[in-house]
Amino acid sequence: MPEPKKSESANQELVRAVWEEARDLIKRLEGSTVQRFSVEAGDTKIEIERGMPAGASMVAAPAAAMAMPAAEDGAAGEPELDGRHPIKAPLVGTYYGAPQPGAPQFVQVGDSVEEGQTLAIVEAMKLMNQVQADRAGKISEILASDGDWVEFEQVLIYLEAAE
Amino acid sequence: MFEKVLIANRGEIALRVARACRELGVQSVAVYSTADAESAVVRFADEAVQIGPPAVGRSYLHIPSIIGAALKTGADALHPGYGFLSEDPYFAEICADEGITFIGPKPDVMEKVGDKATARQLMSAAGLPLLPGTVEPVNTLDEAHDISGEIGYPVIIKAVAGGGGRGMSVVHREEDLANLYQTTRATAQAVFKDSAVYIERYLETSRHTEIQLVCDSEGNGVYFGERDCSVQRRHQKLIEEAPSIHLNDDTRREVGEAAVRGALSVGYTGAGTMEFLLDLDGNLSFMEMNARIQVEHPVSELVTSVDLIQEQIRVAAGEKLSVTQDDVLPLHGHAIECRINAEDPDRDFAPAAGKLDVYVPPGGPWTRVDSHCYPGWTISPFYDSLIAKLIVWAPDRDRAIDRMQRALSEFQISGRGVKTTIPFHQRILDHPQFRSGDVTTDFVEQFMSEEAAAATAAG
Repeated sequence: MPEPKKSESANQELVRAVWEEARDLIKRLEGSTVQRFSVEAGDTKIEIERGMPAGASMVAAPAAAMAMPAAEDGAAGEPELDGRHPIKAPLVGTYYGAPQPGAPQFVQVGDSVEEGQTLAIVEAMKLMNQVQADRAGKISEILASDGDWVEFEQVLIYLEAAE
Repeated sequence: MFEKVLIANRGEIALRVARACRELGVQSVAVYSTADAESAVVRFADEAVQIGPPAVGRSYLHIPSIIGAALKTGADALHPGYGFLSEDPYFAEICADEGITFIGPKPDVMEKVGDKATARQLMSAAGLPLLPGTVEPVNTLDEAHDISGEIGYPVIIKAVAGGGGRGMSVVHREEDLANLYQTTRATAQAVFKDSAVYIERYLETSRHTEIQLVCDSEGNGVYFGERDCSVQRRHQKLIEEAPSIHLNDDTRREVGEAAVRGALSVGYTGAGTMEFLLDLDGNLSFMEMNARIQVEHPVSELVTSVDLIQEQIRVAAGEKLSVTQDDVLPLHGHAIECRINAEDPDRDFAPAAGKLDVYVPPGGPWTRVDSHCYPGWTISPFYDSLIAKLIVWAPDRDRAIDRMQRALSEFQISGRGVKTTIPFHQRILDHPQFRSGDVTTDFVEQFMSEEAAAATAAG
């Protein structure tokens, strides 16, 4: 039997491991504004530089660590009915329209909002994820109520273009 | 019994679990990423929740979203399938905290058996045979040198947290030890976030033999015979069969009883698999325990007439196993499974995913296809390349091979860019060595070099 090339296969495995880690990161960074990162283990290092997809708006980088932009595909490309722009749930969780029980709602129908303004919260396992406006506009409809369970990308709020 | 089970998985296994739920009269909830919105299980399950984008880190591995889906739908239990979160004790613990029954072993038991070094210690204590090697992690190169010298080369270095054929290196000569020891640790750290490794004797030629078992919470355990999974490429199984023609009834009983004893000794509940190597002299050595249902479980189902997923759900609900050891043995007939993957065997099994324009599975007597595919379904590059598990049963191995060849010849899958492992399976089944059953884990490698040599000679 031919002698297998041992060290080579071990190194290949390491390269594969690092690559998979990198690939996983690339997937996780979808929709984020991170442009460059590297993964390394031992002597193996992979550096990735991502281009921004054409037409993707530079969503304002969320200020707080837990803030998330509304689900990605709402921002670019999707045809909008009657000029209405959907704000979608960034993950599965419980919808809250106010920062805490009894507090006033973040927004009401008819309010004008700025890009990056917090519109609601989706709570998942006690983590409060802010839902932010990915563009300026006027709130035309709020579809979810406090305590509703919402799915990923469920439409929560409609915006219409500000005059 | 549970009211509603959430299936925290995708693909064929999600559908398999949903089918078991339906037969048990239990509601099922599918969870899916946006890439899987049109998947078969989403159509089949009683409810479905979209949990995230295609990237698994934000969908099938994203614990808050999965727990959220369970709470949203009021599921009282969760089936993790295989892969993804199925062997994550932390996830099992969170389920328990949220009042959701995790269909699998208790988190602390899962943690113990998931650590290969601990599992070796526990199973050795329960009387299972081990290969010469360490039961403790090897923490320094000096130690590795001493131990390898004692065991005798070749040795294999394995990640304590490893699995799926990852994080292991064979060392044939002492001079290679230092390099491979460091690389394996680095790989283990990168892949499993744990650099601990152990060392054991490496068997050049052996057969991969595994015992299927299920234990209930009343301390009953039943083994469902064994599977031979020696036809594998780079530790990825391609063909599995049950029973192994290399075990006689006495050995089967002996190792089966030891496996159940080992599992019960750690308080194991649910379905699990003990992996062994079978050497050419017929000696078995315990390798590791998998605390989940496995891809290849159907071959065991066909030779025992037991629905293992239903048993798994039953015992998780606190019920007794519905069968006793005497109901299960003797194993009847022979079953073979071929994993049909969207891969190109002629290009080193590179993924060859795409939309399935044609998908016509085989049918006929004793032919089972576990698959989530249908014409128009797209095998996504985000996930594994499994298209279907083709499983056949026959009264004996020869006739099972004939039946598998017939079924493979019927299977039609095509689409732009799509290649499958069907032709590769057909050539393996045609090989006299496979027909004879004298197959060891290096068979596929030899088979591929034989084919390459023949192609060169012909060219």
